[in-house]
Amino acid sequence: MTRTETLSESLEDYLETIFLLIREKAVARSRDIAERLKVSRPSVTGALQALAERALVNYEPYGHVTLTPAGEVEAKRVVRRHGVLKDFMVKVLSIGEAEADATACRMEHAVSKNVVDRLVEFAEFVETCPRAGAKWVHGFGYRCQEAAADPSQQSCERCIEQCLTDVKKRKQKGNKTIASATLKDLKPGERGQIERLLGGGPVKRRIADMGVIKGSLVEVVRVAPLGDPIDIKIKGYHLSLRKEEAAGIAVSRLPEK
Amino acid sequence: MGRRFVMALAGNPNSGKTTIFNQLTGARQQVGNYPGVTLEKKEGISSRGGDEIQVVDLPGTYSLTAYSQEERVARQFIIEEKPDVVVDVVDTSNLERNLYLAVQLMELGVPVVLAFNMSDMAESRGLEFDVDAMSRLMGVPIVPTEGHRGKGIDEMVAAARKAAATACRPAEIRYGADLEQSIKRIVAQLNGQMPQMPTPQQRWTAIKLLENDAEVLATVKTATVQALVRKEQTRLEAVLGDSPEMLVADGRYGFISGVCQETVRSTVEARHTASDRIDEIVIHRFWGLPIFLGLMYGVFWLTFTVGMPPMEWIEGAFGWLSETVSRLWPAGSESLLLSLLVDGVIAGVGGVLVFLPNILLLFLAIAILEDSGYLARAAFIMDRLMHKIGLHGKSFIPMLTGLGCSIPAIMATRTLESRRDRLTTMLVVPLVSCGARLPIYALIIPAFFPQAWRAPMLWIIYVIGIALAILCAKLLRVTLFRGETVPFVMELPPYRLPTLKGIWIHMWDRGGAYLKKAGTVILAISIVLWALTTFPQLKDVEESLSAEAQQAEVLAHTTAGRIGHALEPVIRPLGFDWRIGTAMIGAFAAKEVFVAQLGIVYSVGEADEESEPLREKLRNNYTPLVGLCIMLFMLISAPCMATIAVTRRESNSWGWALFQLAGLTLLAYVVTLVVYQAGSWLGWGI
Repeated sequence: MTRTETLSESLEDYLETIFLLIREKAVARSRDIAERLKVSRPSVTGALQALAERALVNYEPYGHVTLTPAGEVEAKRVVRRHGVLKDFMVKVLSIGEAEADATACRMEHAVSKNVVDRLVEFAEFVETCPRAGAKWVHGFGYRCQEAAADPSQQSCERCIEQCLTDVKKRKQKGNKTIASATLKDLKPGERGQIERLLGGGPVKRRIADMGVIKGSLVEVVRVAPLGDPIDIKIKGYHLSLRKEEAAGIAVSRLPEK
Repeated sequence: MGRRFVMALAGNPNSGKTTIFNQLTGARQQVGNYPGVTLEKKEGISSRGGDEIQVVDLPGTYSLTAYSQEERVARQFIIEEKPDVVVDVVDTSNLERNLYLAVQLMELGVPVVLAFNMSDMAESRGLEFDVDAMSRLMGVPIVPTEGHRGKGIDEMVAAARKAAATACRPAEIRYGADLEQSIKRIVAQLNGQMPQMPTPQQRWTAIKLLENDAEVLATVKTATVQALVRKEQTRLEAVLGDSPEMLVADGRYGFISGVCQETVRSTVEARHTASDRIDEIVIHRFWGLPIFLGLMYGVFWLTFTVGMPPMEWIEGAFGWLSETVSRLWPAGSESLLLSLLVDGVIAGVGGVLVFLPNILLLFLAIAILEDSGYLARAAFIMDRLMHKIGLHGKSFIPMLTGLGCSIPAIMATRTLESRRDRLTTMLVVPLVSCGARLPIYALIIPAFFPQAWRAPMLWIIYVIGIALAILCAKLLRVTLFRGETVPFVMELPPYRLPTLKGIWIHMWDRGGAYLKKAGTVILAISIVLWALTTFPQLKDVEESLSAEAQQAEVLAHTTAGRIGHALEPVIRPLGFDWRIGTAMIGAFAAKEVFVAQLGIVYSVGEADEESEPLREKLRNNYTPLVGLCIMLFMLISAPCMATIAVTRRESNSWGWALFQLAGLTLLAYVVTLVVYQAGSWLGWGI
């Protein structure tokens, strides 16, 4: 009974393979399917019949195999799950691409569907949730690669310290949201943290070379007497920028000292 | 003997690099040009600690991208000339930004030594460095120096020799997993395609390719590598959400802040340094402008008031010299050689030398302002105005210098980074009325205008010049030099007490260049002009005429006189006659010659701008409107042959120099024509 609601793992594999073959070669032949999945032709025929019974594929012996609309939806779901699992291993767990690909295939069989679905959800959550986010994941990737070179885990301590001070800062700010602005919006005396440089090209590069990079603290010191270039303090020195350049630097305002 | 040990000096602007260069080489310096560009290349020989060292002062840069000429020249020198060692002068009071260049030098794969300069200043800011630990982390030798006191220089040279002899390995900057993967893939490709490239350079090339460096991209022509680079760039942007250029900059600063976190200790939280306090007043919202104007007035007072007595001495000395030379020939004998010596050579050289006090004083003032750090503030204050014209705040300095003399002004455009800004400034600077035109105004204004009008008249002439310069700059920016304006990303360096030696070298560097360039050109031109105003000679002059009238007759007969006559139909619509035309030809050598030439054609003998008889003649022959037109034409037309020659040198092209000459002459003609015709029609000053 369950078969009608959820597909067996092997049938999912068939569906996935058919979908990929159609995308690559425009048509799927049972010979190609057998080759891909390293199974015999008769088992392919059996599987195709099973899929046809569920109205997921259109299949006539010795002809081309096509997906029904329902089959395509189902196949896409499977492919996406495979992709997300693989991405999770590559991006979050810092595992090589080939290994991740193979493992993702096998995971679909060995791990219960419920767990796989949860993992997929988690991978999506890690990528999108602002509380963990890409930075945190990169931290793990760095740890995996550099752990051997850093047995005392000094960098961990540094990282944790940084995190704690960040948390403290966040606490001090209370519930006030950090207004995002550009450097141009900051008034003399106000401080901020560089979020990113907008635009591109030589101007952006020049500004970055001068130390105006993501994460740097910046203070607007003054505006020129005639009102245009501004004098900012960054990395302990004074830099002057025109307002039009300052408008291309996104900052988050920091509270006054 | 093999080739000399070559040491290249690199460093940020304002890091004290020049001071160290001067300490190393003393007077044994020579200034040349980098091939193909107009950048100055300073070299010198030092014999500190044994064998002679050839020291090359690279242009001061913050980075090594392909965007600015300085940076391209610096890195090309390192890659192509392969100096034995590169000493990077690091300003320790601004460590992180200075190390950004150091990190890039390390990546180039040459032996690098860091000279931690001005450590005393950093100490006063409450910074303490663990130099040994830092040296270990970065994998390069570090030597503390104090450039202006000459401390640590010997140690620096010793470290440089050692670094060149023992191939030291600088630490490799790691850019994180994703970037490293891309670098690795590109290096592998490069290895296959261009196996002759040395290993450190492969990594550097790979990074530069990811950074989209136009120049490096051009050297790697294989399509496979280019395709791979594009693919990796897209991948990195997708994964990390920023362009690889930014990621690389982040990575370098990340490495630096890692090193600094472990080795730099800040003992005092020194938020307001002395420099900050000075700035609170000097570039204050309200006081900034008056202080700036006051300082500029001071520069002018120094140049023109203080410069007056020595100018008179020089004039006196040349007067004495020409008299002495004249006495060598018996009275009454008309020797051509005498004429050549006195009227050509001595007058020509004297004409150049007489401005030397002005120019040296002006450069003294600029050197003090520059070395103290005020010049950057001046640009900061003036940028709003200059930007409106489409120029950079730094263009203000050449414009200002132009009030003194166009030659140093054109040379002062070297501080401008973009070629577009530089050429624009260079081309319009002669419109700012220079000191040599002042004698013309001084002669003409009192001749035609009542006392009450004299000062405003002079002011109007200067304002017209500046207004035309602004208009022309704008015009050039929307026609020939269209395009994005250069960003105004400029460091405001901390104020520093200038050293005597530094100012002295600065002043003579430029003053000497003026002497050499203007001197040789003006000398040659004066001889040509002397010939124009001498040949063909009039053999039999009317004996009945006075000596002055005879002189005038002779001049009218010469080539210059003939050209003047020939020009008359052309300049008639401007209200000018052949006499003015002849004087204008003389004025091409140097503007102030106009007065003397006019004196000769009007046969009043020796004339200067105070000459009443000449004014009398002018009043009788011309209307005030013509007087105004003479001043306008002299204001707008090219100041002198030397200006054009300097433009040719600084722009590295005869095309631009001739364009300037033709443009200014045409502009002068059109403006004067309009003023004279409109004035006559309205019945002004007839």
